Amino acid sequence: MHNYVGKEIDRVDAVDKATGMAVFTADIALPRMLHMKVLRSGRPHALITSIDTSAAESMDGVKKVVTGSSCDILFGTCLWDQPPLANGKVRHAGEPVAAVIAETPWQAAEALKQIKVTYEDLPYVLDPIEAAKQDAPLIHEKNGEYRHISYVVHPIKGSNIFHHYKLRKGDIKKGFVDADVIVEDDFEFPLSSHTALEPHAAICRFHHDGSIEMWASNQAPFVLRDVLSDMFKVPASKVRVHIPYLGGGFGGKSDVSIEPLVAYAASFVPGYAVKLVLTRQEVITGSLLGRGMKGHMRLGAKSDGTLVALEASMYFADGAYGDTSWAIDTVAGHNCTGPFEIPNCHVDVYGVYTNSPSVGAYRGYGHPEGHLMVNRLMDRLARKLNIPLPEIMKKNFLKEGKVNALGQRITKHHGDIFKCLDAVYGSIFTENVPREDDEYFYGRGLAAMMKSPKMSTNAASTCYLQMNVDGSIFINLSGIEMGQGVHTVFSQIAAEAMNIPVCKIKVYKDVDTQFSPWEWQTVASMQTYRGGRAIQDACHKAIELLKYNASLVFHSDISHVDYDGQYCIHKLTGERIPIGSLARGYSYENGLTVGIPVQTTGYYRVADLTEPDPETGMGNAAGSWTFGCQAALIRIAKATGKVDILHFASAFDIGKAINPKTARGQVVGGVVQGLGATLMEKISFKEDGNIKNVNFPAYAVPRIKDIPHKQTVFLFETPNNEGPWSAKPMAEHPIVAVAPCILNAIYDAIGVEFTRLPVLPSDILGSIDRKE
Amino acid sequence: MKLINMTVNGDKRVAYIPDGRVMLVDVLRDQFGLTGTKVGCGVGQCGACTVIMNGEPVTSCTVLAEKAEGSEVLTIEGLAKGGRLHPIQEAFIKAGAVQCGFCTPGLIMRLYALFSKNPDADETAIKDALGKHVCRCTGYESILEAALLAQKELKALV
Repeated sequence: MHNYVGKEIDRVDAVDKATGMAVFTADIALPRMLHMKVLRSGRPHALITSIDTSAAESMDGVKKVVTGSSCDILFGTCLWDQPPLANGKVRHAGEPVAAVIAETPWQAAEALKQIKVTYEDLPYVLDPIEAAKQDAPLIHEKNGEYRHISYVVHPIKGSNIFHHYKLRKGDIKKGFVDADVIVEDDFEFPLSSHTALEPHAAICRFHHDGSIEMWASNQAPFVLRDVLSDMFKVPASKVRVHIPYLGGGFGGKSDVSIEPLVAYAASFVPGYAVKLVLTRQEVITGSLLGRGMKGHMRLGAKSDGTLVALEASMYFADGAYGDTSWAIDTVAGHNCTGPFEIPNCHVDVYGVYTNSPSVGAYRGYGHPEGHLMVNRLMDRLARKLNIPLPEIMKKNFLKEGKVNALGQRITKHHGDIFKCLDAVYGSIFTENVPREDDEYFYGRGLAAMMKSPKMSTNAASTCYLQMNVDGSIFINLSGIEMGQGVHTVFSQIAAEAMNIPVCKIKVYKDVDTQFSPWEWQTVASMQTYRGGRAIQDACHKAIELLKYNASLVFHSDISHVDYDGQYCIHKLTGERIPIGSLARGYSYENGLTVGIPVQTTGYYRVADLTEPDPETGMGNAAGSWTFGCQAALIRIAKATGKVDILHFASAFDIGKAINPKTARGQVVGGVVQGLGATLMEKISFKEDGNIKNVNFPAYAVPRIKDIPHKQTVFLFETPNNEGPWSAKPMAEHPIVAVAPCILNAIYDAIGVEFTRLPVLPSDILGSIDRKE
Repeated sequence: MKLINMTVNGDKRVAYIPDGRVMLVDVLRDQFGLTGTKVGCGVGQCGACTVIMNGEPVTSCTVLAEKAEGSEVLTIEGLAKGGRLHPIQEAFIKAGAVQCGFCTPGLIMRLYALFSKNPDADETAIKDALGKHVCRCTGYESILEAALLAQKELKALV
């Protein structure tokens, strides 16, 4: 039994946030701070022929106007293809062309209007399939020549394809020869905006001693630190990054986005802090977008439903720069099989430069795109073979002994997807509803999912622990609290590991690369798992140190010392010492002190990961899997085509819910975000290549009227040797299978095969009309 | 540059308005340090900047600062008194309605306005009020739960 793990304790950050006292980057004001505004190109693809900043420079309050005309910096982490400010060429309409630094944001905005830029327009391309063609306008003349890590990024020179991931498993020809039935279709998962409610913000100061200090709304402080170090050729030890609370991330604040721009501008005014807070419009046009896939999938099965072959091509409209998206393309490829074993797979994924904002990580990280295709085709396969969908799914599920697309063998402890399916099926398919009535059509849909975290092969979490004389402890990790509840879960894990009440645990809320231990980054739903293991490690070491200190006082062997969270106890004599008295070593009455201060370091890295082989696309690239299923009961209004979700059920095998309440919160919120992608959200472009829907409500996201009438959440807990007390990644997962689940339900309701998102009421009305 | 006078969370305050299109939210955040009021969209569509002005909920990112002359404004910082949280704040914590927290102050102020005027607001009225807000984290289920819980607690106080 656990005392603190598995309990629904209140969030440790909730009081700060409910009282308006939680500090986000935009809330920070520093001494000697200036404000920055950005001039964006407004053209999707053009050469810059001249920039005249003289009028802007002479305006009231203006300190500096910065352009990229003499900037030779390209930044990146695996593919160095992006300048912080456009130099000579713009590649999307939101690209920064100049920045004004002024006393007030209003002065900076006024001065922007006085900057005169002339352009020579170039043909532009937004569609990734068009952009991948040989005769498409070339967006990067130097594609293939840019510095890149050649084992993981595979550009095709002379084209817009900056990354080609290929998966070659088994014998695809033989697979399709063996198939009795083949289903296939084209699919589209459009560009969308993460819409974290906090717009991106960053503040940067170049100190006179040559060091760089930055405050940023960012999920990856150490990646950011290393990027700044690389950009400005300053040792990493002289770059300091602070991350306060994050107002949502969803991947849109991972790696880097606006920070190199702010740092580059700030480098021109050393001694001053320069602050940029994006408008919502700029979040959409000038930070990162998500998804943007067009694809085709072909699935072959035997007449008994056994899957034998999968062939897919996926083209990602990854935007003007590729560093933040190549890894998404890779994982989208090898995980497009969903949670099914398929012996023969042939997948090509193309990361394509397009004249749109760069794509970055977005909750689900390549999985929703592939899962849309495979789940829709499974539904069709089931109908074609006249086998119930749950049955055909169960026949092919990855389970103990099965081999996934990467060639890894699945074991029992990876989770029980059968249980997940039975749970959601039982919730949704047993509800008694008519096929239709006067007002509505009714339908049910089912989809299954699997997700593995994509991470750098050296990705680790580390933890510093410090015990205080009152027996309370500080826990210092660089996992970013961005809403997912990581500080609460960290507190519970430390409490459990130390057997100390949660109220005596303090998890540092600000991450500061100068004081916080190294962490890869807060992505891939890995903090509970990886950070949690690092905390456990630090706690075990702290307990050992406490016991050691006690053994010195007891003059006994350490094996005779017990620890219970309050005392160290001599097993034989029953003598006991409060742990606080051992925190700095033990001091006798005369002051003589023995032992070691209780401060420890813990770490965890998922072991033995490798990057996929460049030729086969296979390898030990996934460190963990989480499996789940989702099902929905919907109704469609005959008059309007509007889809109402009457009941949405989700089931995931997450190993252990450290805090069932916050875990449920992740599922319920993730489902609604997924419904937005399914039924509402799409970045649309105007004729001139600018984005049309740059703010609410034109970019429509779910509001309270759009949510399911009821959500049911099942969290199963198959024991495993992975995360702390078996806890596994689960935060992105609720979004992965929502779209195919709803589209399968729409088919069930009205018999229309939608394959492109979003499905709007007008699409549904149109399709009903066509059928009639 | 202009000076304006207003009462904020019960205190008389004077603010200077720099040149430009300066909004009430800018004065609250930049001049008074009341950064609990957030800007999510800048066009009054997400509700994160909601404060109470002269008894009415307003999106402070769309109210010109000079229109606040002589007004009484209540922000999220004005709700907790003497170290005690307001029941709506307590309800958000209890219901698990806080995730990233960026939308939270605006939602709490919206409900404060609603329940001040209409303690018996039915679920439709509550949803209409919450419908003016965007939350990207929670899926709204826990926010509705918090609203209903807060209403119950507030009524018990009367």
